[in-house]
Amino acid sequence: MDLNRSVAYALRVGVAIGAALAAIGLGIWAAQGFDSSTALGNYTLGNIVAAALTGNASGIVYLGIVVLIATPVVRVVLSLVYFFAEKDAKYMGITAVVLAMLLFALFSGRIA
Amino acid sequence: MVLEIFLVSILAGLVGALFGLGGGIIIIPFLTLVEGVPVQLAVGASLVSVVATSSASAATYVNDHLTNLRLGMFLEIGTVAGAITGAFLAGFFQGPNQAILFILFGAILIYGSAVMLAGRKRDSAPAVQADGLASTLKLSGDYPDPATGVRTKYFVSRAPHTLGLSYIAGIVSALLGVGGGIIQVPTMNLVSKVPVKAASATSNFMIGVTAAASASVYFLRGQVNFLLAAPLMIGVVAGASIGTRLMRSTPPLRIKLLFAILLLAIAADMILQGVTRYR
Repeated sequence: MDLNRSVAYALRVGVAIGAALAAIGLGIWAAQGFDSSTALGNYTLGNIVAAALTGNASGIVYLGIVVLIATPVVRVVLSLVYFFAEKDAKYMGITAVVLAMLLFALFSGRIA
Repeated sequence: MVLEIFLVSILAGLVGALFGLGGGIIIIPFLTLVEGVPVQLAVGASLVSVVATSSASAATYVNDHLTNLRLGMFLEIGTVAGAITGAFLAGFFQGPNQAILFILFGAILIYGSAVMLAGRKRDSAPAVQADGLASTLKLSGDYPDPATGVRTKYFVSRAPHTLGLSYIAGIVSALLGVGGGIIQVPTMNLVSKVPVKAASATSNFMIGVTAAASASVYFLRGQVNFLLAAPLMIGVVAGASIGTRLMRSTPPLRIKLLFAILLLAIAADMILQGVTRYR
């Protein structure tokens, strides 16, 4: 496994899916005559997925945003796996610290 | 409105990708001043677009071996810890305190810009060898520059200093809402002697992580509007693909010069914001 190639691949796939969902959602929203009454008000993952599956324009865009926000986090996880496989203890430590802080920030909401 | 946002986001993606900045400096003023979007919603949408710009351009730069992955991951310890610290300090840096911080950092950025302008004839004076920590962590890098055809090898010097400054960059970006790249790129270039193209690419790679954490908070608070975010995401991805192409064809010294000028403009804006807030 090559670190450069796998990181680049993960980033590219995440951005492509996110932007594609945003474009599809925007397209549906325009096709429905720019009707904002169908916009989701509740942002739980379950709600977003359920709305996206029914073809709700805002649900599809929000799903794209969730995929996009998850992309850098997935990149860090992937790097951790790589350094583990390479038995590179120093960088396993560095990546693990970054991931731990990132998860703390994500779940505690303590970041600007 | 959607079309305007789309067009401006192409420019933001281009500038963000080329200079390692993310692009919030263009999107936030545009949304608030031109479109009349409330600040919180503008920041929420902008953060999502920064994640998109960073990820899209980093995918290309990582593939081109322009990004120094190890250096980026090492410095992320500083930026992420700084962003968390900044969130805890936010209560103290309100009103006049925040205004003073704006002016102080504006002044520091003017200094950074002046140093970059003074050294505009030559990309970072190369460090002759990796020192202590940089050598232990194998931070040295090399990249092929398609513009000059030269394979540039460089050593990273003063890694602990740059880590410390990354921590400060994280705190400042949390307190002032200014992307960390503004501080990150000159720090890597001037303190650690990383060539400007590698510094910009590495900064782009790093800012996605902190922007994603911040974006998730705005998202969960319901401050990411899909009608703003959708055209932004699509636009910045298009802009970033132009920006990464320009990075390939632009000589490093031109990027350095443009960055220094951009830095000066941002510094002036920060000082102005500080002065207006202090009143």
